[in-house]
Amino acid sequence: MALALTTRRFTVEEYHRMAEVGILTDEDRVELIDGEIVEMTPIGARHGWCVMFLTEFFVKNLADRALVSPQGPLRLGRNTQLQPDLALLRPPRDAYRKTVPASTDVLLVIEVADTSLERDRAIKLPRYAARDIREVWIVDVEGQAVEVYRAPTASGYSDAQRVALDGYVSPAAFPDLRVSVADLVG
Amino acid sequence: MAVALTKRRFTVDEYHRMAEAGILRDDDRVELIDGEIVEMTPIGFQHARCVIYLNEIFVRRLEGRAVVSPQGPLAMEKTTQFQPDLVLLRLPLVQLPAPADALLVVEASDTSLEGDRGVKLPRYAGAGVPEVWIVDFAGEVVEVCRVPSPDGYRDVVRVPRGSSLSPVAFPDLTLGVDEILGPR
Repeated sequence: MALALTTRRFTVEEYHRMAEVGILTDEDRVELIDGEIVEMTPIGARHGWCVMFLTEFFVKNLADRALVSPQGPLRLGRNTQLQPDLALLRPPRDAYRKTVPASTDVLLVIEVADTSLERDRAIKLPRYAARDIREVWIVDVEGQAVEVYRAPTASGYSDAQRVALDGYVSPAAFPDLRVSVADLVG
Repeated sequence: MAVALTKRRFTVDEYHRMAEAGILRDDDRVELIDGEIVEMTPIGFQHARCVIYLNEIFVRRLEGRAVVSPQGPLAMEKTTQFQPDLVLLRLPLVQLPAPADALLVVEASDTSLEGDRGVKLPRYAGAGVPEVWIVDFAGEVVEVCRVPSPDGYRDVVRVPRGSSLSPVAFPDLTLGVDEILGPR
């Protein structure tokens, strides 16, 4: 459509209501970004495998120190609710029984990017930074590396590192845990 | 946003359920265009005066012959529902108005001319709405579009001030372009 039309934007509450009344269903793989409901990219085999690997790793090694939320919702302000591939959340578990986790609950967000690298970098990363998510990893499946972003500011992460295949990554919140990049994307 | 995101599009049915569930409310001035919920442009004085004038004259003169629907819904297809400024509908009205029920659609275009011409007119033509009037305040004409086809209206005439016109469906009803456009 050549003409610029202004679309109606939705709040997180309106978005949740759409799910409650069945307008959005389990078959919808969507996120709410700045009030727009957008389709998520499909999950391929390698992407799925990375999420499984990381979920298993963190569940085994974190015990009760954090909750592991694979592909769960994360509310970022009034008009945005993302669904990162994995989030580590502060305990206790019951805190999330009726409330979608928000940025202050998050210890680490991981996005696995096979087809979605540019989208994760350009769309999601700045929003995580603006909402003060303390650490984000982008797993670059194709490029066989993990990008580690720390020190969020309003204009992005001021500390960005790209860890190659021979390296290891550790969450800032749990420096005793080490993930081998080769194990993850080798 | 440099990266292209695919928006979740909605059907007319889902759009109606948003209204039922209170997600879309009375203060939402929106239309559903190709599954996207789009904000309508605000209505200014010229626009409002034109719709009030046409509504009054059509109601008075077409009693028992057509239903006059000012700023009401028109369900175009599975993912599009417009809210034209005015529609003349066939009697009797038994369901949500669809193109087959429409005898004439009028769009008053002060700020919305490009959207009305570029987005809505081709869809009215494709859906077989027999006649559309675009009231072009800036151009000081009423654009009369007839003979719908999948490629658009085959017969488009710009009728200037000082002239008069009649709906195809009601040739006995004559309206002056000056009265439709209002004072300069």
